[in-house]
Amino acid sequence: MDAVGLTPIIPLLFAFALPLTSILIKGNRRVVQAYALLGTGLTLISSFALFQRAYSSDSPLIYTFGKWVAPVGIIYEVDRLGALMALVTAFLMFVIAVYSYRYLEGESGLEWYYTLYLGLEAGLLGVVLTGDAFNLFVMIEVTSIASYALVAFYRGRRDAVHAALKYAFIGAIGTTMYFLALGILYGAFGTVNFADLSAKIHDIPFPVSGNPVGEVVLASGIVLALATWAFLIKAAIFPNHFWLPEAHPAAPSPISAVLSGLVVNVGIYSLMRFLYTVYGGELVPGLERVVGGVAAVLVALGAVSALFGALMMNAQRDVKKLIAYSTIMHMGYLAMVVGAGTQLALQAAIFHMVNHAIAKALLFLAAGAFIHAAGSRDIGDLTGLGRRMPVATFGLSVATLSLVGIPPLNVFFSKVLLFDALMERSLALAMVIVLSSVIALVAYMRVLYRIWLGKPREDITAGEHASMAFVLLLLSAAVVLMGLAAPLLLQHYVDPAAAQMMDYGGYIKAAVEYASAFFS
Amino acid sequence: MSVQEFLWAYMWAVLLLTLGVALYGVIARPNLLKKIIALTVLGDAVNVMVVLIGYRFTYPVAPPILPSLSRDALGAFLSSAVDPLPQALVITAVVIGMAVNMLLAILTVQLYRLYGTLDVREIARRGGGE
Repeated sequence: MDAVGLTPIIPLLFAFALPLTSILIKGNRRVVQAYALLGTGLTLISSFALFQRAYSSDSPLIYTFGKWVAPVGIIYEVDRLGALMALVTAFLMFVIAVYSYRYLEGESGLEWYYTLYLGLEAGLLGVVLTGDAFNLFVMIEVTSIASYALVAFYRGRRDAVHAALKYAFIGAIGTTMYFLALGILYGAFGTVNFADLSAKIHDIPFPVSGNPVGEVVLASGIVLALATWAFLIKAAIFPNHFWLPEAHPAAPSPISAVLSGLVVNVGIYSLMRFLYTVYGGELVPGLERVVGGVAAVLVALGAVSALFGALMMNAQRDVKKLIAYSTIMHMGYLAMVVGAGTQLALQAAIFHMVNHAIAKALLFLAAGAFIHAAGSRDIGDLTGLGRRMPVATFGLSVATLSLVGIPPLNVFFSKVLLFDALMERSLALAMVIVLSSVIALVAYMRVLYRIWLGKPREDITAGEHASMAFVLLLLSAAVVLMGLAAPLLLQHYVDPAAAQMMDYGGYIKAAVEYASAFFS
Repeated sequence: MSVQEFLWAYMWAVLLLTLGVALYGVIARPNLLKKIIALTVLGDAVNVMVVLIGYRFTYPVAPPILPSLSRDALGAFLSSAVDPLPQALVITAVVIGMAVNMLLAILTVQLYRLYGTLDVREIARRGGGE
């Protein structure tokens, strides 16, 4: 079977079959867990095969559903960035599924949890693999609906239901605006395929679909404004961030890890697709101004978001809320470099997206181990637990040190790249990275100090479960090793992905060649 | 300005106005149920806009049926038929919108069970917490 088409289909099939299967097995928790591990594990294998194929091939991979080629049907077009993100997503979803079993041992409804979890994975993979702007909309909605429902997993808790409603309202407005943008895009260009759109904007011939029919510059302005707004809501960039600090902490900790590590990347990835693949490279002057305006807005909002997130981290008592504000800070960095628009900036964005996903997942899972033991999210209640839970403390330390950018760990290297990329633009922007990192360091050290060296409460019996400890050690090892091997990773995986992303001509050519071979 | 052009402009003006009212409703109305209603109005306004983008100015309007299987007939048909792709996009969006609305309705019912009110000002006063 073809790894491109198969990758998002596996979790989707497993998700849809789970409610029926759970009736057959009478909701046996062990069987449900084994089923979920099988589903996420097979997806991991498939996305690894996809990853190898994308890196060994010179041009993006194409998959057509039922042989309906590019402008007529929906195609999946996978370049190296997509394959890399798919591998990171599938890896994290698998290890977080391992972690979830122990974390949710006191809760009922494990089968519904995994139905949504696998649906979420299918949506995330669809977003990074698709080559069609409308399919991107559908996949973003699949991801979003699963996320809204998972935030409300503790349906008896007021904060969870309230946060989920807030998240769902703002998310629904965002995706509706993106849908309107798609309508206008289709009205002006007569297509919603990324390769075809890019071909029309760069004046490259494409089979079947004709010339653009509408006012290209005006339509692009409206489309980019609406789509950027929608993606900024999904990525939680200031001033559209307000749902995140409530929604991420209210979810169960494994879901917080997925939301903060992977789901927010959807917005950044989609922005990259639009700004680099569709509106990348040389443009006519009118479009150049429109895209330049959007990029400037991204840089400005990203900088505000980074500083705001860092400052708010220091005002939190809830440990998960603190981590959630750190996510806003890191998404701010990503928005800044996506707006910067050079190849170096793209490398920095890709590497930081991967590093942040792994380190942030580790941080939420380690914090989750403490919360699971103490039954509270208040830093005051977690005081002194650190010495009784050495593995969780180790994970927490590695993740916090990595996220503030201590040298041998992975985020340090991507922060250096971020700094270099923003330095090309201005010193003030580069200093935002340094300043927000220092402010965040203060907040993280306060948490680490309280948990590790604080005076423990007597009434808590803290223990570490083997499966949770294993996941924490595995992710800690990943953070350390990715830091030590950063130059190699950059050379072999990040640079080729960025180079291919900048090369919109190659992206169009792959789709054109596939379509012409079919029509001739 | 012909009658059709007037109707076209009128339709867009009404839709943009509806969009504005719906956005106001979602953001400013305190009652959660009214927020959901405003959100469905927003979604429907956008759906009608997208269908309208696929519309063609032709008169008299012919049903979208191919008169005969020949190249000339096909050309004439393509220039008069309404574009079906926006309608395909809209039907997908309608189905997705239904899923979102259902989830929102269920969450609202659950919120009412927990708080005993649907007024967001009242909920904010009591705090989002336990």
